[in-house]
Amino acid sequence: MLYDLELISVGKTYPDGTVAVSDFDLRVEKGEFVAFLGPSGCGKSTTLRMIAGFEEITNGEILMMSHNVTHVPPEKRPTSMIFQNYALFPHMTVRENVAFGLDVKGTPRAERDRKVERILDMFDLTAFADRKADRLSGGQRQRIALARGLVVEPEILLLDEPLGALDANLRRIIQNELKLLQRELGITFIFVTHAQSEALGLSDRVVVMSNGVVEQISPPRELYRRPATPFVAGFIGSNTLIEGAPLGAAAAGFGRLDTPVGVIEGVGRGDERLAVIPAEAFRLVPQGTPGELHLPGTVVGRHLVGAVGHLTVRLADGSDVAVETSSHRPEVRALAPGMPVTLGVDPASVTLVHA
Amino acid sequence: MQSRALRPVLATYTALFLLFLYGPMIVLAILSFQGPEGGPQFPIQEWSVYWYKHLLGFAGTSRVSQLPVGDSLLRSIALAFMTTVVSTVLGVMSAEAFRTRFKGSGPAFYLIILGMMVPGVLVGLGMALLSNTLGLSRAWWSTSFVLHVVYTYPFAFLVMLAIFNRFDRSVEEASLSLGVSPAQTFRRVTFPIIFPGVLSAMLFSFTLSYDEFARTLFTAGRALTLPLAIYGTFSVEIHPNIFAFGVLTTLFSFTLLVVYGLLMKRFTARAARFHGQEES
Repeated sequence: MLYDLELISVGKTYPDGTVAVSDFDLRVEKGEFVAFLGPSGCGKSTTLRMIAGFEEITNGEILMMSHNVTHVPPEKRPTSMIFQNYALFPHMTVRENVAFGLDVKGTPRAERDRKVERILDMFDLTAFADRKADRLSGGQRQRIALARGLVVEPEILLLDEPLGALDANLRRIIQNELKLLQRELGITFIFVTHAQSEALGLSDRVVVMSNGVVEQISPPRELYRRPATPFVAGFIGSNTLIEGAPLGAAAAGFGRLDTPVGVIEGVGRGDERLAVIPAEAFRLVPQGTPGELHLPGTVVGRHLVGAVGHLTVRLADGSDVAVETSSHRPEVRALAPGMPVTLGVDPASVTLVHA
Repeated sequence: MQSRALRPVLATYTALFLLFLYGPMIVLAILSFQGPEGGPQFPIQEWSVYWYKHLLGFAGTSRVSQLPVGDSLLRSIALAFMTTVVSTVLGVMSAEAFRTRFKGSGPAFYLIILGMMVPGVLVGLGMALLSNTLGLSRAWWSTSFVLHVVYTYPFAFLVMLAIFNRFDRSVEEASLSLGVSPAQTFRRVTFPIIFPGVLSAMLFSFTLSYDEFARTLFTAGRALTLPLAIYGTFSVEIHPNIFAFGVLTTLFSFTLLVVYGLLMKRFTARAARFHGQEES
């Protein structure tokens, strides 16, 4: 298998001993859309800058199309980077900005003009082409930055929080455009963001990072369904985390955990110490429904937002869990704080992770 | 609430400040229009442009010999020009180097700055002794030139340091990531953006060198620069032609300033827009 991008235990330690990133392993196929997701300071931007060649790598290797680029300077890598502040050239017009890369490389004039006009057209920039780049709105400048980065035909496009400076509406629009664009061009996209919705909505795979370490690399759905670490369980979605003592394996692929609220069965090997239950996995059930875990509790809060009902239920050990349920059902509408309920959970939607 | 009481005080202070700042220049300008028989003091005998003619050699025979500034003026301009070019290039290059911390950058910084801190007379004397010891002859284009660079380079360096301080590195990175070499990136992206700073560095270097006295005094050798030549005429007798010259050279400086101002205006308007890019 040929990969567009391979990171082999890539790490960066600053001269003062601070570790920015350690043991980053990732293989990206051609045309894949990968998002780096994590809180600020988790090392996601540093990793992106290492891929671009702006940060030195102190451990490991980076390969692009099977060529080792670990010590190749940024201008010689087949990557193009889009910056959060767009980093447009203030002294050039929109067209000059877009043409710059081809211009300096000595692309024949006819070919350059053809490519530039095509991409200006593609990004709806033709009307502003002769204006100074910094005279335009945020969304337009974002498009200029994309056009400028793509016109040089990179193999890999690196995007550093490219939507961070846009307002919510524009962000949604450009988000959709990005996705379409990536499909159309078939270029590999590496996208850094701290916004879950962007990472989960856009990418084929998400790399969740915290404190310079990769926590999990999974398709977005898997992150929701099967978080691999307590950090991911706490960071993605709205999960209830219950600690307990391992009771060993139950049925094949399932493990059991002895917790203060009772024995919980879930997907795992049985040597884990933490059960992760997504808020939407809880259901309100009559006691004794077969095939379910039963967690008795008391309603302490009810908040109906449109079709979704957000309940807070206090379990036997005094811990509160968030429950998401349909607000249309009469038994949900009838609930009031103080009323006893039983929460049912299908063990298949429970994930056991090592604490 | 205090401003009402404070306002006249501040106004008086400002007026006095301006008076003392420009007073000498105004007196000089007025006296330059003294009549042919008048001296370098009030009262004005008669209003005329005689001394301007005298200065330029159009006054015919006169009791006062022509001011010997022609050659020294050219020398000073040439020296200031040479100094400007070298100091600005050095300033830009070393400020670029200081964008990243390197080993010994602290001491290097202070060594550069030292050039504008040490007393000029001492450096001038030191240079004179050094060239004597080494058997080198002193001249405005050699020994003086070196000292002028040592003196003005720190100013150019500091100006450029401030410019680079506010410089958004991602613009350069964007260029590199488009496959443009570092040299081309500097030429086509960095330099056009820092150009206003370069202009300021040039202005500093030029004006500082143009009227430098102390360092030049001991190192210029036989051929004098303008400040030395003018000082030399004081030792004989002062005539209003020197005021006329003062006015002309001030006008020359103003012209430089206006050119600088116009160029700056063009570029800072752009820089202001550029700034908006990052904030929005």
